[in-house]
Amino acid sequence: MAVTPAPVSIWPFVRLKLRITRNGLRGRPARIAMFVLGAVTAGLLAIFGYAAFATPGLLDSARSAEVLFPFAGAALVFGWFLMPLLFFGIDDSLDPAQFALLPLARRTLLGGLAVAALIGLPALATLAATAGMVDTAARLGGPGAALAQLCGIVCGLLLCVAVSRAVTSAFATALRSRRARDLATILLAVVAASLGPAQLLLLGLLNQANWSSVELIAEVAGWTPVGAPYTVGLDVVAGRAWAVPVKLLIVLVSVGGLLWWWSRTLERAMAGAATAGSRRGSTATRSDGRGPVDQLLFRWSPRSRFGALMARETRYWWRETRRRAALITLAVAGVFLPLTSAFGSGGARGLAVVVGAIAPIGLANQFGYEGSAYATNLATGIPGRLEVHSRAAAHALFTVPLLLLVAVVTGLLAGGRPESIPAQFGTLLATYGVGLALVLPVSVRAAYALPDPTTPFALSSGGGLGKALPSLGAMVGAILGALPVLLAGGLLGPVWLWIGLPIGLAYGLAAYALGARLAGGLLDRRMPEVLAAVTAR
Amino acid sequence: MYMSIPAQRLPGEGGTAAMSLRGLVKRFDARLAVSDLSLDVPAGSFYGLLGPNGAGKTTTLSMAVGLLRPDAGQALLLGYDVWQSPAEAKSLVGVLPDGVRMFDRLSGPELLAYHGLLRAMPAEVVDQRSRDLLDVLELGVDNRTLVVDYSAGMKKKIGLACALLHAPRLLVLDEPFEAVDPVSAALIRDILQRYVSGGGTVVFSSHVLEVVERLCSHVAIMSDGVLRMHGPLATIRGDRSLQDVFVQVVGGRVATGSELAWL
Repeated sequence: MAVTPAPVSIWPFVRLKLRITRNGLRGRPARIAMFVLGAVTAGLLAIFGYAAFATPGLLDSARSAEVLFPFAGAALVFGWFLMPLLFFGIDDSLDPAQFALLPLARRTLLGGLAVAALIGLPALATLAATAGMVDTAARLGGPGAALAQLCGIVCGLLLCVAVSRAVTSAFATALRSRRARDLATILLAVVAASLGPAQLLLLGLLNQANWSSVELIAEVAGWTPVGAPYTVGLDVVAGRAWAVPVKLLIVLVSVGGLLWWWSRTLERAMAGAATAGSRRGSTATRSDGRGPVDQLLFRWSPRSRFGALMARETRYWWRETRRRAALITLAVAGVFLPLTSAFGSGGARGLAVVVGAIAPIGLANQFGYEGSAYATNLATGIPGRLEVHSRAAAHALFTVPLLLLVAVVTGLLAGGRPESIPAQFGTLLATYGVGLALVLPVSVRAAYALPDPTTPFALSSGGGLGKALPSLGAMVGAILGALPVLLAGGLLGPVWLWIGLPIGLAYGLAAYALGARLAGGLLDRRMPEVLAAVTAR
Repeated sequence: MYMSIPAQRLPGEGGTAAMSLRGLVKRFDARLAVSDLSLDVPAGSFYGLLGPNGAGKTTTLSMAVGLLRPDAGQALLLGYDVWQSPAEAKSLVGVLPDGVRMFDRLSGPELLAYHGLLRAMPAEVVDQRSRDLLDVLELGVDNRTLVVDYSAGMKKKIGLACALLHAPRLLVLDEPFEAVDPVSAALIRDILQRYVSGGGTVVFSSHVLEVVERLCSHVAIMSDGVLRMHGPLATIRGDRSLQDVFVQVVGGRVATGSELAWL
């Protein structure tokens, strides 16, 4: 006989959330520091936001408020939309799947999760910041406008929370399969890599935009669900009180729609927890008669330990999503950096060298990428030097063609001097070699565990400043170390066009040989320690 | 069914233990994970290492095969010190670690080829043995699915195949039967039994007493990082069941019937 679930109030969810927050902090100074830092940041953002939103009122400028509020409101909602994507998997304390086995009515669960989301720091900070809009409305239009704006920002907060919860739950469902997660990671890398170019594009557009069209867009945005809650007070100020109920209705209908979508995805997110393992990856069986060895190795690989190590590493640069993301970022940066300066001051050659210094950074935590799988190489007793050489070779297989491309792009577009391409390539190789020489020992000495790649958006979590510092140092060091070659290029003039490539190549190779020797010896002494360092706990 | 079985014991090696641990100690922060553990595994034995979760089984086996550096003590594999002469020791041993990832972005055949080539085996032998193992363990010779997408049981099987590939003299298996379905478990048992009867030595950890009781010639029981009992199965067991001995040694409680009366 089924027991009718007793009506559960939403307070247990609130207490649960507070308790999880508290227990997460217990006895962990680093976490407490992070929490305090987060609280301070949220507080500063709230104060800053309040000040920004209250400024139009202080200046008595309704016109600027009419532009600021809808855009800022839209940005806020967009931020709430992005938040679960960035922090997905970091805060899964109230993951719907955790409640799958409890006899809870869906309505209770929805209410509880929503309220729990409302009592977090982000919600409080958002509310505090948007309170500045109430301030402005009060100064411009008196208590009536303030009241309308207050209703507006509360509805706006509801909208923000509904958006973020619905997105979280939809993602929890969508990201169950490994392929979807891999795809999301790559997409995120592409988006992140193209932020720089996009920013320039946007700036260019803004330079050409005129004020009246901006005002028109703001007015239209004010009638969309993302802008409506933040403009109701201004409508009262402008004498359009009739717009207030209409806009609030728009927002509430949107919130209702989001909640409906959320409740549907929530059910799947909960059910998915039990069925996640049942979906089997497609068993791709292609019989082309190639034996296991030929399947692993490339046609040109030596059939030796080095060949196997390098082939595995090469496949990993493509198949492991974080590595592929790193390669994509490098490729975008490599082509983009010389291009930007090509159309600017003409320092393309200088910036191109930076690409040579950035390239080895992908190896700075090379043992962290595969995590405890390194145990295989350790259990078979691979000598340190062989390990280091094979990994560098696989990396160079992707990087050297890219550097050649950078040299060609720089030579053709930036200077319009195709004859400088070989010397430029030589300089890049010298920088890359010095960078490798510095990064390889760092990768042995300062290896650290990356989070388990089950969450595509936990890309950078776990890599604090302290962990990034050695690789940044290596990058600067690569440029300093390649300085003799750079200076030679500057001083020798036309002769350099002929000897630049051989000298750069020799310089880079010599630096690499030294670094690899050092890293190999270091690895021979520290193999178990490296394994322990990259094993996620 | 072709399986490579290691050569019979070499002359002059008689009496050498296949695995010999001397005073191993490992400390994680303040916690003593393994405390002064000494154990001899006779060559040709089927040795089961038993213990509840967190007893230190994985830590012990990791130190024994050179994956974890002990704070003190020695580990000898077939007479070679795994920390002094790692190349010789590691070439004679096959390892299936637990809780450790494999290079799982390779397909099963690729992973086997990788292991074989790392062991410096000739490519033809790698191909031949890989096909045999994939066939026997029903993993599919032409299966291009990445190991990361394998089920838990298939992962165990491919891990075992990698450990067997170079026909080692000693197999060290951490929880080889965990998450394996009964049919595959029976297959793995058969393979291991044949391996031992051919002169190989198996050391494996488990907390499934039935498997240990059925397979092992020798048993060691650990809890809280201490080796509580070790020796031939018959001696350890006496006239009781292994279960009773285990629970008594480890110090677990046995339900008397008075608690949970409402169930």
